[in-house]
Amino acid sequence: MRYVIIGAGVAGVEAAKVIRAQDIEGQIVMVSADTDVHSRCMLHKFIAGERDERGLDFTEKDFFERYQIQWIKGVRAAGLDTEKKQVRLEDGRSISFDKLLLANGADSFIPPVGELRKASNVYGLRNLTDAQAIVAAAEDAKNVLVIGSGLVGLDAAYGLLERGKKLTVVEMADQILPVQLDKNGAKAYQERFEQAGVKFVLGRKASEAGCEADGKIAKVTLDNGESLPCDMIIVAAGVRPSLSWLEGSKIACGRGIEVDAGMKTSAEDIYAAGDITGLSGIWPNAADQGRIAGRNMCGGQAAYTDTYAVKNTINFFGLVTLCVGKIRPEDGDLVYVREDQKKYERAIVKDGKVEGILLQGDISNSGFWQYLIKNKIDISSIEKDVFSISYADFYQIGEKGKYQWKV
Amino acid sequence: MKRIMIDPQKCDGCKNCSAACMQAHRAGAGTIYDLDLTDPANESRNYILKDGKGSYKPLFCRHCDDPECVKSCMSGALYKDPESGHVFYDEERCGSCFMCVMNCPFGVLKPDRVEKRRVIKCDFCVDAGGDPSCVAACPKKAIQVEEV
Repeated sequence: MRYVIIGAGVAGVEAAKVIRAQDIEGQIVMVSADTDVHSRCMLHKFIAGERDERGLDFTEKDFFERYQIQWIKGVRAAGLDTEKKQVRLEDGRSISFDKLLLANGADSFIPPVGELRKASNVYGLRNLTDAQAIVAAAEDAKNVLVIGSGLVGLDAAYGLLERGKKLTVVEMADQILPVQLDKNGAKAYQERFEQAGVKFVLGRKASEAGCEADGKIAKVTLDNGESLPCDMIIVAAGVRPSLSWLEGSKIACGRGIEVDAGMKTSAEDIYAAGDITGLSGIWPNAADQGRIAGRNMCGGQAAYTDTYAVKNTINFFGLVTLCVGKIRPEDGDLVYVREDQKKYERAIVKDGKVEGILLQGDISNSGFWQYLIKNKIDISSIEKDVFSISYADFYQIGEKGKYQWKV
Repeated sequence: MKRIMIDPQKCDGCKNCSAACMQAHRAGAGTIYDLDLTDPANESRNYILKDGKGSYKPLFCRHCDDPECVKSCMSGALYKDPESGHVFYDEERCGSCFMCVMNCPFGVLKPDRVEKRRVIKCDFCVDAGGDPSCVAACPKKAIQVEEV
């Protein structure tokens, strides 16, 4: 049996581990554009110079040897023949498979504004190669413009602050981290970034960005006419599943590759996991999808059921935040707030159920909130302040001393 | 593997387990008699919680069979040791994202109080020979190590 995995991110790596655990004899081939296995969640540490390439590796020591995986690195997949069961690589090679996993992730989305897509000084931040290019370009850059203030945009800013760059962050919404936080929670981070020297321009969009004779964009004009000078631009406006190489392959795609609960695509023996499915951009979920795909590629019947993905943790300047569920309260929701100098906490409750929790400053022992929110557990019978609820209120010990949820 | 078995009925909330854990993981040398309980750097890895009715609910890492913390770790810092079955933490590799804190369904984990850089997590007192200090300190035998 020959298993081929496209992509060496967490979905591909987890799938490979599961496959090897079930099939000792089988041949596993991984193909990746990446030449170093790396955690995308740590690219800011590379940009800041805190870690080198090796320091971003999330796998066990000697991963490929240990799991007897043939790794073809630095090569992109360029085409797929579902009938012949072959993947064509960009260097002309063809690899045949019995079971295939598509886990080659997503690409940075560069919006079609001005000449952002054409300019030579515009960067996404998705792969280690992006981070390497950013570090190299930053050598000679003074003014860096970041478009987008989500986690990736702020990661880029955070990393480049360490290199002493002058940073401006433009955000369409009227607050930073608009997907993750409410205004109050976002303000705490904005203040810290501002103290470190970052300038934010909120509620504005880039509308003009033309290349100079050298092919670089030297200024970006916003929708209010204001111009921001820049030596380089980092675009953090989201990602899109990396599907272009599958055109004409008969694999059904929507926003991402369409999969059933077992992570199988529309084609026999072909599975997909991670960001390429567009199901969730969250690391633990991509890992889970990879493991489920791996099991099913070995004949298993696993299903991806823990699909909840409205969850994030944030940590900048030692200020930690956990946010799970609803961020914007709606009519009829009860909103509870508790705040002091060191922390800010907010819960959104509807019909006796917590729909959203935001904890900033102290996230100790808060993991139970995800379980409570995603399983829509009723808290109305608990005679406690909402912020005093803990796993103690659902405490039960099961077989072999394992904890269970008593609801 | 060995697990700390809990009998919550026997717990009377004395927190000897927490003091013993703080002592076992303190930075400098010393005895429990000079342990600074107010120093934020001295943190316990176990907790005695109370439910709404006032009952004590001891919260100790289960070193789960299928650990959500390990599954959510994006740096490789958390791993399940194949030999002992325990979930260990490599501070050097940790990226301080705290997705493990978010993903533990029982809320056992937390970031360190001082720098918010490390995860505070039970290590089964592996440096002291793998005999958990909390268990030795419990006067009620509400927690005991058993092979599961």
